[in-house]
Formats: sequence, structure tokens, C-alpha cells
Amino acid sequence: MNARITGAAAIALTVLVCSSPVVAHHSFAAEWDSTKCREFTGTLTKLDWQNPHPYFYMDIKDADGKVENWSFQAYSPVTLRRNGTDRQVFLDNIGKEVWVRGCLARNEKVHAAAAGTLKFSDGVLRQVGQLQD
Amino acid sequence: MNTKVITGLALSFLLSVSAGAQKPEYTIKVMPPGGPTPRLADGHPDLTGHWFPNGAGQGVSGRFGVDPAALGTSEPGTPREERPQLQPWAEAKIKAMTPTELELSKSSVNCLPRGVPAIWLQNPYTTMMVHKPGLLVQLYEVLNNWRVIHLDGRPLPKNPEPFFHGSSAARWEGDTLVVESVGFDERTYIMPNGWFHSEDLKVTERYTRPSMNYLYVQVTVDDPKVLVKPWTSSRRRWTLGDGEVYEFYCTNNKELEELQKLREQELQKK
Repeated sequence: MNARITGAAAIALTVLVCSSPVVAHHSFAAEWDSTKCREFTGTLTKLDWQNPHPYFYMDIKDADGKVENWSFQAYSPVTLRRNGTDRQVFLDNIGKEVWVRGCLARNEKVHAAAAGTLKFSDGVLRQVGQLQD
Repeated sequence: MNTKVITGLALSFLLSVSAGAQKPEYTIKVMPPGGPTPRLADGHPDLTGHWFPNGAGQGVSGRFGVDPAALGTSEPGTPREERPQLQPWAEAKIKAMTPTELELSKSSVNCLPRGVPAIWLQNPYTTMMVHKPGLLVQLYEVLNNWRVIHLDGRPLPKNPEPFFHGSSAARWEGDTLVVESVGFDERTYIMPNGWFHSEDLKVTERYTRPSMNYLYVQVTVDDPKVLVKPWTSSRRRWTLGDGEVYEFYCTNNKELEELQKLREQELQKK
């Protein structure tokens, strides 16, 4: 990675980090465990587009190959619309593979996470929830 | 954040940077002043507009290529906002709360109106104002809340009912609209950090529109039972945008239940 790209990455990271408090009207860390964040890849099965947070659902294979349906919490619909990830983008991707980075619930609710970054099949990186790690 | 995400962010950001440029060209920039203050027929500044809580005049959360100078919610170049000085009993009451209890107290977690003055201090969503001589209507996007402020010189009520937005009386001091309010619902908080208020809370808001694109709202909180001395916020920066004020009925709040479960788990571990 040359110096220019490293610098741009640093600026991009700064911008993203700075963006986070603007929407942090309640605490991410109170409900979600930022030490338990990981990547998920699976098939988008359903979208529940309501306030204060939409939830999307994905079929994800665990280590034993068993498929479980996971729920992911996102930003508010208002925030998602304004950053270009609207309801229709999710609907257009139902049945398709999705990559998500998210964090698990602190109350140990199973198969539930808060989404941070996401890629649909177009490969575009989208911020769909508060930055967690 | 892992390497994959950082690389992705860097590549996304590079798309908004012109080739060979020494300085990045942000795609979302700080709004220019945009011209002189618009005025109503009565000569006072017209506060009408769709206002965003940042310097960009548009949503900035979760977006790449945002100039950091456009993110802040306070007037640039002004001193850092002072911390409120709470009475010892109030400080102790807040410190006794666990992080989960504090989270459970928040209006955002409970789908309750932010109220005044929190709507200016802890609100990442937009506000549309409709202003005409004698009347200022504030349409808050979050939770579809609204507030009517009469500008006809009527006094504060003697026995106000507790309302989330209080009861208000307004006057002009030059080009500054000064709104004093009393009578607040006990479920409102000044800030989402446990800073609660007493029944004696009095809030003063000062609205200025120094140019077409900028609105500043400064808040003074006077509450002797809770504060050692009145607290005044920085001038909070709002910029003129367009687009819709979206519907925001809070119909699917799952966080309250999940946090209550977490609190029960924490109590069992004690």
C-alpha cells in the first residue's frame, strides 16, 4: 500500500469515526458487544422496515453447516434513506448473497446482531449502522 | 475494524478524490453562507426552512467523503461547551446508575419525545420550521413531534401543565428570537447522559439566522434544584437543506425489551 492510499485510508477512517457521534443518540455499547464483532455472509431472506430501526434477516450457515436465520439491526430508516441505502435496495437483494460486519447482543440473544457495514451483490461498501470496531 | 473494511473505505474514499490532487475533494462540503438573512414582512429574520443538525445541509451519517468540518453540531471557532455543574445529590444520583439503567432512561430508547431543550441538544434528525408574523411552528422529524410557539407577546402561564415541550413565551431582542419556557414533563432529560431536571426547570432558547443557510440555537438551562448555576450551550449549528421531512412513527421498538433483559441478567449476577 503506497503512502497516498494509506493517507486516504486514514482520512476515510477519520471521516467515518467522526460521522458516528452524529447519529449516536443512544449508546451502541449499552446494547451491543463491540468485543464480539465479526463478518457474516449469507442469503437475505426478509426486511422489516420500521422505526426506530429496520431489521433485516439472513440465512447463515454455522461452522457445522447448519443454516440459522439471523436478525440484524440497522440505522433508522431516515438515516438509511439519506445515505443511499433505501428500502428498495434491500428488497432488490432478497434471495441474494449479502456480506455484513456486525456485533452480537450483550444480553446474549441468539442469532441477533447489530449491522455496521454491508455489501450487497454489487460489492459497494455501505454503512448501515453505527461503527462498532 | 478489520483490514478488509479499511481497504474498502479507502477505495470508496479515493473515488471522491481527484487524481493527483494534494488535498482531498470532499463530496459533502460545508455550506456557504448562501446570502443575506431572509426577513418577514415585519422586518424580523424569517426562520423558515428545513434544518439539518450539521454544517452540510444534508444527512451525513454513514456517508463517505464528508468534510470533517461539516460534521460538528456547534458553531465553528467558538469555545468548547462547558460541562454543567450539578448539585452533589444530582451528580450522585446519576453516578449510581449502571450503564444499562442509564440507557433505559433515555427518551430515544423509550420512543418518548425528546422534549425541550433536548430536541436541540441530542437530536440527529431534521427540523422544519414554518415562520410567519406572530407564529413559529417547529416540525420535528423524530417521532413526528411538533411545537407551536406564539410570537404575539402572550405571557407564560401561571400554572403550566407539564408538557414535553413546556409552555413558551417569546420576544425579539434585535435579530434574536428569545423563547422562554416552563412546565416540563418529568420524563424529559436535558442530555442523554442521565442529566434530569426538576419541576422548576426554566429553558431559554435564542434563535439567530445570520445568513440564508445558517440557523443557530443556543440554550440556557436554569434549574437551581439540580444545577449549581445556570448552564448555557454552545450555539448549535443547523444548516438549510431540502428533501423530505420523513415519517418517523416509532412502531417497532425492540431495544427496550432487550435492554430490560440485560438489566435483569445484570441484577441476577450481583
